[in-house]
Amino acid sequence: MNLVANKNIRWLRDNLFSSVSSALLTLITGYMLLGMFRGTVGFILSPMRQWPAVTYNMQLYMIFNYADGDSWRAWASVGVALLLLGITLGYWNTGEKVSFNSVISGLFKVFTGLTLAVLVAPRETEIMNNDGTRSMVEVISSSERINILIPIAVLTLIFFLLTRYNLPKLFNRTKVIIFYVGFLVGSAWIIKVPTVTFDDAGNRVEPDLFLPLATTTTIPWTILYAVLWAAFFIGQYLQKKEIKILKRLIPITWLLLPLYLFSWLYKKPIIEYNEVLLNDIPGVLIFWIIGFLILRYATNEKFIKYRNYLTIGFLLVTASILFLRIPFLFKALTFSVVLLLLVAPAIANTAEGKRNLLLIWIVATLVMAFLLRGSGSDTGILTPTGSFLGGFSLTWVLAIFGTYVSFPFGVILALGRTSNLPLVRIICTGIIEIVRSVPYITWLFFASVMLTVFMPEGIEFNLIVRVLIVTAFFSGAYFAENIRGGLQSISKGQYEAANAVGMNPLQRISLIVLPQALRAVIPTLVSSLITSFKDSSLVAIIGLFDTLRIGSAVIPTQSSPVNFVGTQLDNLLFIALFYWVFCFIFSRRTMKIEKKLGLGER
Amino acid sequence: MSIIVTKNVKKWFGDFQALDGISMEIKEKEVVVICGPSGSGKSTFIRCINRLEQHQEGDIIVDGIELTNDLKNIDAIRSEVGMVFQSFNLFPHLTVMQNITLAPIWVRKKTRTEAEEKAMELLERVGIPEQADKFPGQLSGGQQQRVAIARALAMEPKIMLFDEPTSALDPEMIKEVLDVMKELAQSGMTMIVVTHEMGFAKEVCDRVMFFDEGKLVEENNPEDFFNNPKSDRTKLFLSQIL
Repeated sequence: MNLVANKNIRWLRDNLFSSVSSALLTLITGYMLLGMFRGTVGFILSPMRQWPAVTYNMQLYMIFNYADGDSWRAWASVGVALLLLGITLGYWNTGEKVSFNSVISGLFKVFTGLTLAVLVAPRETEIMNNDGTRSMVEVISSSERINILIPIAVLTLIFFLLTRYNLPKLFNRTKVIIFYVGFLVGSAWIIKVPTVTFDDAGNRVEPDLFLPLATTTTIPWTILYAVLWAAFFIGQYLQKKEIKILKRLIPITWLLLPLYLFSWLYKKPIIEYNEVLLNDIPGVLIFWIIGFLILRYATNEKFIKYRNYLTIGFLLVTASILFLRIPFLFKALTFSVVLLLLVAPAIANTAEGKRNLLLIWIVATLVMAFLLRGSGSDTGILTPTGSFLGGFSLTWVLAIFGTYVSFPFGVILALGRTSNLPLVRIICTGIIEIVRSVPYITWLFFASVMLTVFMPEGIEFNLIVRVLIVTAFFSGAYFAENIRGGLQSISKGQYEAANAVGMNPLQRISLIVLPQALRAVIPTLVSSLITSFKDSSLVAIIGLFDTLRIGSAVIPTQSSPVNFVGTQLDNLLFIALFYWVFCFIFSRRTMKIEKKLGLGER
Repeated sequence: MSIIVTKNVKKWFGDFQALDGISMEIKEKEVVVICGPSGSGKSTFIRCINRLEQHQEGDIIVDGIELTNDLKNIDAIRSEVGMVFQSFNLFPHLTVMQNITLAPIWVRKKTRTEAEEKAMELLERVGIPEQADKFPGQLSGGQQQRVAIARALAMEPKIMLFDEPTSALDPEMIKEVLDVMKELAQSGMTMIVVTHEMGFAKEVCDRVMFFDEGKLVEENNPEDFFNNPKSDRTKLFLSQIL
């Protein structure tokens, strides 16, 4: 007991009261923090707050007015993502352990903080009366405070006593984290939050009732949590079985997952199968044969002689059929042949490279056909506002998709800008400079008003998809400049060393230059990621309903019977918390990754 | 049989002429030391041999392949010629083992196990098998340079180029690198070494070449080179360096 106390007192002395000035600074800061804390608690508990505005509208926050009958699609998407997450965590489990002691001492610290917080919480807070005068009202009565304090204090004491025993038991770190998540899910059953209900006549029942958080979603969340555990154990089983292919399969699945889930949320396609039969299948087959022929003769000398003419020929064909009324699939595939002709000689110079490239070609044509057929058909999911997503799901779609599309695009732009080929360099520099010198909001208006004009005929994308396209360009340009900084930090010696061992340019870039360049710019990349996550709220300007707009404009106008008019502050605080939690988790995770990758730094 | 032949090689950096008509032949299994004052074009010359620098006039023929702009020839020559740099140029984001196996796996298309066996063999040869899983940043300069030699050898080159391999090292580390190079020379590798280590030249090499102002001023066997230099420039250089 003395030992622990001594240690803590020494810590206080060394860190907070090491000199007169630091003691003074500690006291002043402490006083200010206390004031802020009491103010915030007073704000939250004030009778002027209408927290039911947040809790009652959870569905609005999550998926906005995504068609009710289709909301299982949203649940299923989360489920699939969690399934993959669990398998990944299980399969890539490093077996890192945390001791029972550190778990307990963590809990002890948290509960000490809670006890202190309850002790110093304000007794009353100021409210404004109808006539404009201010008065104080009680928010926590003495009996309430004691009622809360007793269980917390008891738990604190238990944890404190447990810290004194040296329990050698070790737990798998990942399991502990998933277990903690369980508390969140479990609390949905237990913790009661203020909400509103209605009587038979449809009138709001006063006073506000306390019901379990998210009454209708406790069961889905619990099922999802079970899915996470199950997936984790499947992953661990696969790890034990040493199934090597998963090492490549899992990252690829993660890359493709958002695409798949997005199409899952976006479309309930109504497909005309005779068009598939007449256009898509023959089209893909023809282009499979073309691709096969190109790869078959890629290293043939005669072919190489005519390759440039062929490339230009296909480019001209692409340009000339661009405005013809033929399925867009054919135009896209013709252009893809140009790309194939460009990369074929570099990659298909071995049997293995040829096989891989043929496989990529087959899959790419299929995916292209699948996506174009899907996007060309009508969306079956209709909402009154025309935008199919809103709230958190929109914020997430914009953030994740924005990154998925813009990051590779940024890498390509950065490489292009530093390329030796003048044409490539000029085009990439041009794109970057044009995109960066126009404000994001202008691009959003461009997406909402003008982009349809530039699209090929017959293809009309949803506003969200158009926003994603301009976001890809906009954040891509910023990523490109960050990555370029990383590329410039690579010394000439690295290029020379790669050349000297006989690597070709593609290997040099992908094995030597990019891994180092990306590592060097992780901090800036993360800050751009966080920026784009928050910037996604700008889409409110062009009529999309993101989290912020729902909280600041939609809910505060809900009138009878729920009557949440003017509940802006409550909602804004909730949204601030939402953004903070995710940005914080994100930056902490990245710090870990940075540390892990930084191992090989110079 | 000459493995490297150069004829009247010339190179300019802007207005500055770095190489002024270098003609030479190097036979298989020969160890050649190139020395000379700084700025004399010796590094530029060996960097021309594997096309890290491009010569503007003259011919360079390595193992029967002429160096032209043809990418295929350049790749073919680079996989025949290993190079060790003054500043090591190891890949800092990869472990020692990965540094050595990267090129055999990707360029030579070896399997991973095959490449790792070979890499372990080479690490033992250069005397640091226990460092295989460390990153270059965790090694001393001498160890890093030995890894760099192992990395070049992993490609099983016919020729090894050394561009001032010991200039960036502390005196006590120089010996460990030179020992590896000596062992390599005795094993019958064709080597061109740009160095100021005259001890190495006297002891190991078959021929010494002296460069000055982009010209090959003198070439001789080491004994005659150090004892009876022909040109005045060589005499002056030797008097300053020895």
